[in-house]
Amino acid sequence: MQIRKKMLGAAAVGVSAVLALGACSPPQDEGNGGGGENSVTWIVNQPGGGWNHNSNEGGSVYVIQMLHGVLPVPGFWSPEGQWEWNTDLIVNTPELIEGDQVSWEYQINPDANWSDGEPISAEDFIWQWKMTSGDDEICAEGCNSRGSTLGSLIESVEGSDDGKTVTVTLKEDAQFPGWFTFGADGLYPAHVAVAEGIDLDTADGMLESSHFFNDAPLTISGAEYVFDGTPALDGRTVKVANEEYWGDTPDIGEIILEVNTEEGSWVPALTNGEVQGAAPASWSDDVITQLEGLENVEFGVDSGGSWEHLDVNMNNEALQDEALRHAIFNAIDVQNIADRTYGEKFPDITPRTNHVFSTSSEFHQDTITEHGHGAGDADAALELLEEAGYELNGDTLELDGEAVPALRLRYTAGHVAREIISELIQADLSEIGITAEIETTDDLGGTLAEADYDLMLFGWSTTPDFYGSPHQYWHSESGSNFGGLDVEEVDTLVDRTMNSSTPEESAEHANEAAALVAEQAYVLPIVDTPAFYFYDTSFIDGVTDNNAQSRRALWNQHEWTAVN
Amino acid sequence: MLVYTARRLAVAIPVLLAASVLVFLMVDLSGDPLADLRLQQPPPSEEVMAAAEARYYLDRSTPERYWLWMTGIGGNGDIGLLQGEFGPSVRGGAFDIGEQLASSITVTLRLVTAAIIAALGLAILSGVVSAMRQYSKLDYTLTFIGFLALAMPTFWLGALIKEGGLWFNQTTGTGFFYTIGANSARVSNMTNWEYFLDSAGHLVLPTVTLMLTSFASWSRYQRTSMLEVLNSDYVRLARAKGVPNRVVVRRHALRTALIPLVTVATIGVVGIIEGVVITETIFQWRGLGYFFIEAVKTNDAFAVMSWLMLSGTLVVLASLVADILYGVLDPRIRYE
Repeated sequence: MQIRKKMLGAAAVGVSAVLALGACSPPQDEGNGGGGENSVTWIVNQPGGGWNHNSNEGGSVYVIQMLHGVLPVPGFWSPEGQWEWNTDLIVNTPELIEGDQVSWEYQINPDANWSDGEPISAEDFIWQWKMTSGDDEICAEGCNSRGSTLGSLIESVEGSDDGKTVTVTLKEDAQFPGWFTFGADGLYPAHVAVAEGIDLDTADGMLESSHFFNDAPLTISGAEYVFDGTPALDGRTVKVANEEYWGDTPDIGEIILEVNTEEGSWVPALTNGEVQGAAPASWSDDVITQLEGLENVEFGVDSGGSWEHLDVNMNNEALQDEALRHAIFNAIDVQNIADRTYGEKFPDITPRTNHVFSTSSEFHQDTITEHGHGAGDADAALELLEEAGYELNGDTLELDGEAVPALRLRYTAGHVAREIISELIQADLSEIGITAEIETTDDLGGTLAEADYDLMLFGWSTTPDFYGSPHQYWHSESGSNFGGLDVEEVDTLVDRTMNSSTPEESAEHANEAAALVAEQAYVLPIVDTPAFYFYDTSFIDGVTDNNAQSRRALWNQHEWTAVN
Repeated sequence: MLVYTARRLAVAIPVLLAASVLVFLMVDLSGDPLADLRLQQPPPSEEVMAAAEARYYLDRSTPERYWLWMTGIGGNGDIGLLQGEFGPSVRGGAFDIGEQLASSITVTLRLVTAAIIAALGLAILSGVVSAMRQYSKLDYTLTFIGFLALAMPTFWLGALIKEGGLWFNQTTGTGFFYTIGANSARVSNMTNWEYFLDSAGHLVLPTVTLMLTSFASWSRYQRTSMLEVLNSDYVRLARAKGVPNRVVVRRHALRTALIPLVTVATIGVVGIIEGVVITETIFQWRGLGYFFIEAVKTNDAFAVMSWLMLSGTLVVLASLVADILYGVLDPRIRYE
């Protein structure tokens, strides 16, 4: 018994000692120094998947936010949706050079160096093109890249003047209205991959470099900030001012990005001084309610970077009747949906009236209202149906004496707003004798890919870089044209949208295509999902949200100033 | 004892094997790990999808995938539980499931150890006092507190405790309590004392949340056990012999009354580790709970399976340890 006691005592002391040591020795990180001065902690509301933003795992807004200020960018979208060049990096104003093939030229600032002293050069642009080319002969397995329309249209990227002049040439007959967005999410230091012994001139080498940049964070920087210590995609990323940066030094010397998935903890952490702000990718009435009335906190709400819509499956026999589709869209009250979902905290919300452009876009044209879509007018819908030979028998809509079959209306399980929208649609359709059976899915990708629905409620993200979107949504050969729209004229227009020489011309074609899609009653736009941001005004100044960019409010972090 | 332990370990092997089959099949049938990839805009090319399917072994049959997951034979060197490889994560090469599990366990153990120590201490104290003052106002009060803690959902309890911490900070004008994370960001610049205070400030609120849920049930066990012992013949004999009450309680009654609690607590540790999912989410600790939630959210099949297998192994081990401890502590029990 005595021995047992001693053993238990020793074990207890051991456990205590381990815990105490673990708790009392701060881990020492070999970082880039700095920090401490004017430190701001900012919430990122989901973890990232990989450090290469071009990759399938790393291609998320969260990773782009973490990498922002570390990777050099040629230009960016302003909050108003206007393209601006990064004059710290690019000293000319690139313009299209018309010739046999379309090209343009960047002149890189001669002072622009990576923080290890190597110049930012054409090699970094070349790597970016190869990474997004989608050509297996240039990069094996498509470089595990999430793909880029522009990357696939580029024939060559060449350097001159010691790599400080970069010429990008598109393939023969190719045009792309968004040519200026090349490299907009950030350029990687190709020389680091070469120093690792990777041969970037081979397809396998390029794939290896893709994984190399994906698996570990950069230790050098080509912009205002540099990672300090070991940043974690699912934890904490510390960025400190890059002492080697050739431009202005930011006033905020340290930005800590804290992954925090629990929205209920954001406002308590804000009021407790543990974080100073966030621009979450998801909407939350609860968080906004908590923010209302708080002192020293500024928050804003605006239309965000995604939009909700209802898609029709054209393979459904009943839905192949255009009149029925129009009637369904007429019966749905979109303003009511907007009010009941986001209206309480965002009273300015209005129905979306174009598939490609939100109301605030300079290219926006209302292609929806003229068809009565989203009006919630059951009488007009019934009139359309009667003209097409349908008859409302009690509560049931019939065609040639047979009831119109019930329609499966699906949305992603757990999505609160879509649950409300589905129920409202169900109620609207019951007024014209159509039964909508609501079903959720845990596998949105699989459900869409297999077109396992009659009516599908989901969202698309959107940026000012709209040029490839119509092709993706509606081209008969697009893998994302889930409901199976097949209209030759639409195909032609979406091809032209992608192959225009200017954004204006491209927008014209996109609007024409959108008008045809509305005529087909294929997709009913519902609302732009609103987005919000907040920050502690007693800590920082100069914060503005930017829904045109994945970086959101962090887009001008280098211009933020510390209060006091 | 050694023979008994070996026998129990031998029985545990088929149990874990059966668990691995169930875990694999349930996770395998629960969804497509590449669903997010398929939904990307623009959609990935067929080559990218084929490469991804090969990378995550989705181009193999279900039995083949199970074999690979267990043994790693025929794989790319990144899979095989028996070789210590947990499989590739759909979150990319930057996310090593083994490394993440190891760092998560470290974080969770800190929280769980503190919660268990606090819960045991409080449960013993409250159980003994309740038993000794049976049917008194104090007994009723402690019983009420116990049932209240037992009935309150953890997410609600956590939110209340967090608000309490915030109120304390605001009232006192200090920043002692933290509401998110296990440590502050800039710990490498701290002295040991500052780091200790920082760690303690982060630890208190989640520990109290986790502790209260276990304390409630354990204190009831302790009260019942103590009452049983206090009413036993040998205690009555000790009192009849004139042994002071304090000595009777401490030396004779408490020691015996602790035996059931030790075994209950051993099994309960597993429950706490699994229950830590909610607490870690509320307080944003990067432990096992957070690991599991993120794995589920990202359809990271191998990560989910690893977590479930770890939980299963812990349950088997904990029940073994509980049985062995019972034999060690209770002289009436002897394993042949």
